[in-house]
Amino acid sequence: MASDARLRLTLLGGYLGSGKTTWLRHQLHAESFGPRVHVIVNEAAETPVDDALLSGAQEGMTLLAGGCCCCAGRGDLVAALRQLCDARSRQSSQVARLDRIVLETSGLADPAAIVNAIQTDPVLVNHIVIEETIVAVDALHALSQLATEPLGRRQIGAADRMVLTKVDACDPAALDRLRATLARLNAHATVSAAVLGDSVALPPLSPGAEVADLPALTEEDARGPITPTHLAVPPDLDWSAFTLWLSALLHARGDDLVRVKGVLRTPAGRLLLQTVRKVVQSPEILPDQGASRSDNSIVFIGRGYRPEDLGRSMRRFLSPTRPF
Amino acid sequence: MCNACGNPAAPGHWTEAGAATPGDRLRARFHRARVLDEILRPYGLMAHDGGVVPGIQLGNRAGASMIVENLTELWAEAERLNGAPIDPLDARYLDGF
Repeated sequence: MASDARLRLTLLGGYLGSGKTTWLRHQLHAESFGPRVHVIVNEAAETPVDDALLSGAQEGMTLLAGGCCCCAGRGDLVAALRQLCDARSRQSSQVARLDRIVLETSGLADPAAIVNAIQTDPVLVNHIVIEETIVAVDALHALSQLATEPLGRRQIGAADRMVLTKVDACDPAALDRLRATLARLNAHATVSAAVLGDSVALPPLSPGAEVADLPALTEEDARGPITPTHLAVPPDLDWSAFTLWLSALLHARGDDLVRVKGVLRTPAGRLLLQTVRKVVQSPEILPDQGASRSDNSIVFIGRGYRPEDLGRSMRRFLSPTRPF
Repeated sequence: MCNACGNPAAPGHWTEAGAATPGDRLRARFHRARVLDEILRPYGLMAHDGGVVPGIQLGNRAGASMIVENLTELWAEAERLNGAPIDPLDARYLDGF
């Protein structure tokens, strides 16, 4: 989709108080999201605060207060997004028009549910491409939140990019522990750090960093912990058979597969494939960057199955008539 | 789905990425239907794609038959006909029945 003229949407999530607004405010000031960006802020509380902080957006701001847009406020979000798409569609594509929406979710939102709401809306799916899910992670409190809050773990699982905030106030050993734990929960997301929105360099993760022991939470104990599984895909992949397999897998096990992400080489080019729960984002063709190591490898983050079964099952689908 | 031209109103289903030209797309549909038919056979289901109308035909041995638009719908219908989801991680499937 080289000539894709759809609006880009960046989802910014993270737990309550993780520093989403502070980070976004700085990014808007620095124009990291480009000049023509509209910001939507969602607050679960009836009395909004964040809107006052985020007046830096060039193309305006929408505030959705009094209902988290992944659940109670979903209708409001869809209506607000439709209105933006509508206003944009009335403009000629020749003039400078809105390029991007940044949606700052409430701290109680599950990013996966919002992605689902947008992708299943018949209007929005034609107008909006969800480009990236950024999750702010509070370096001071994230470990204790992850230990007790299933929501915190879901947010981490949905991230493409994690921004560690408040790292200046965090003890280096504790930061290493958090980074190792995050890598266990979500291996494919990139990790960066920021202090008051200003990005700071992270030292290399010390090899001995131990992963915090996260207790199983009541909501998820029966199916075991969420673990990542890497699956190598054969270079001569039969894309049709592969899509049959993955679509069947998502249908049967979508609730257990929090995230699937990988880059596949197909006859049409390098395809970026990613899913959140049962929702598959339309695969994007990536520019050819030579032989990249991450190609033809897929990460499955989920639970409720034996990791080795994924590979067996895929190979069986790729050659259904061949006996095993 | 547009009534007049049969073109889908939404951007293509994700499983149809990877085929750029109309010829490739048609070949991919035929090939996909063949593979799908092999996969469904142990469950007593059949799949066919004639390439003329959009969609995949799904049926069972009792004569039930329907056209589904994409693979997401297909697995939902297959679950209905089969009485349980077609689970690629099912031990019976992995062990080859």
